[in-house]
Amino acid sequence: MQAGNERQLVERCRSGDEHAFQELVEAYGNLVFALIARTVQDRSRAEDLAQEVFLRVHRALPYFRGEARLSTWIYRIVANVCLQEHGKPALPLSLDDEATHGAARAAASVDRRFGDFELRDRLEKAIARLPANYRLLIAAHYLEGIRYEDLAEALQMPLGTVKTQLHRAKQQLRRLLETELK
Amino acid sequence: MFCDEALDSVEAIAAGELTPEGRIAAHLETCPDCAGALRAARDLDQMLRRRAVPAPPGNFTAKTLARVRRVRWRSEQHVDLAFNVAMGTVVVALAAGALLLLARAGLAGIAGDAFSLVSRTAVDAGRRLSGSLSVYTGAAALLGTALLIWWWAERDSDMANG
Repeated sequence: MQAGNERQLVERCRSGDEHAFQELVEAYGNLVFALIARTVQDRSRAEDLAQEVFLRVHRALPYFRGEARLSTWIYRIVANVCLQEHGKPALPLSLDDEATHGAARAAASVDRRFGDFELRDRLEKAIARLPANYRLLIAAHYLEGIRYEDLAEALQMPLGTVKTQLHRAKQQLRRLLETELK
Repeated sequence: MFCDEALDSVEAIAAGELTPEGRIAAHLETCPDCAGALRAARDLDQMLRRRAVPAPPGNFTAKTLARVRRVRWRSEQHVDLAFNVAMGTVVVALAAGALLLLARAGLAGIAGDAFSLVSRTAVDAGRRLSGSLSVYTGAAALLGTALLIWWWAERDSDMANG
């Protein structure tokens, strides 16, 4: 969404236009949900947390000063919600989980080379064992639509720190896959 | 020592953010461990890129908007309650202040006379009306029921509109 459109949307939301808020949820819903679902790895919890993000957005919109882009501000709220969730242990992945099967089937049609369910299952299990901030970074970095700069601003970190932490996260993930989850 | 340096760069090289040059490039060509780490990092990068993107349920927007409305409605109820409590407190405080003022000004006796006059009038009116008590009770019950139904209807309508 372009900056001008974002400003208009925020103004309409502030003036109490319910349809504008619906547009906002429709514009960012997919990305917010995907980011959270990849971080918490539990669909029903992800849905609840994604709704919580929009509740906070709705509550805080009157105080949004427009210094950052709306998308960056929303990612910051997502990061806060995900990291607050960190206190709770990540749910173990179940092979019987319909959502896991659904995601696996979709991915299999996209890429046959990595279509091996077991490999992806190992990857998801390894990601689940990463610290929450690393999970969030990996989830955000590999989702289309989130720029590195937005991520750095949302997490209030220098760009270099974001990249370093992301490399450390992947290094830890690679080690987990090569050793404990081999 | 050199392996450590190369391994630190492996993730950045795999992500295409760093081009191996000079001694790191040479080391990656000759050290099987570091070359293997780079291959694994590249594989991991590809796997992460191909990870399925979870999509929200079809009714996500509707459910989110309903939740926002519900929370806002609850918050407005709390504001209403707080306002009513505040108004009640003000009324009680004003009454208490008025009584205190009457007592201080020595007008309590006059107020007492006024009170007994009002009570006597109320008792007389009650006696006169007692003959038709059942009619008045029935009318009051009907009015109360109508008000109750109206209150429930308003409450359901408020909840439906958020």
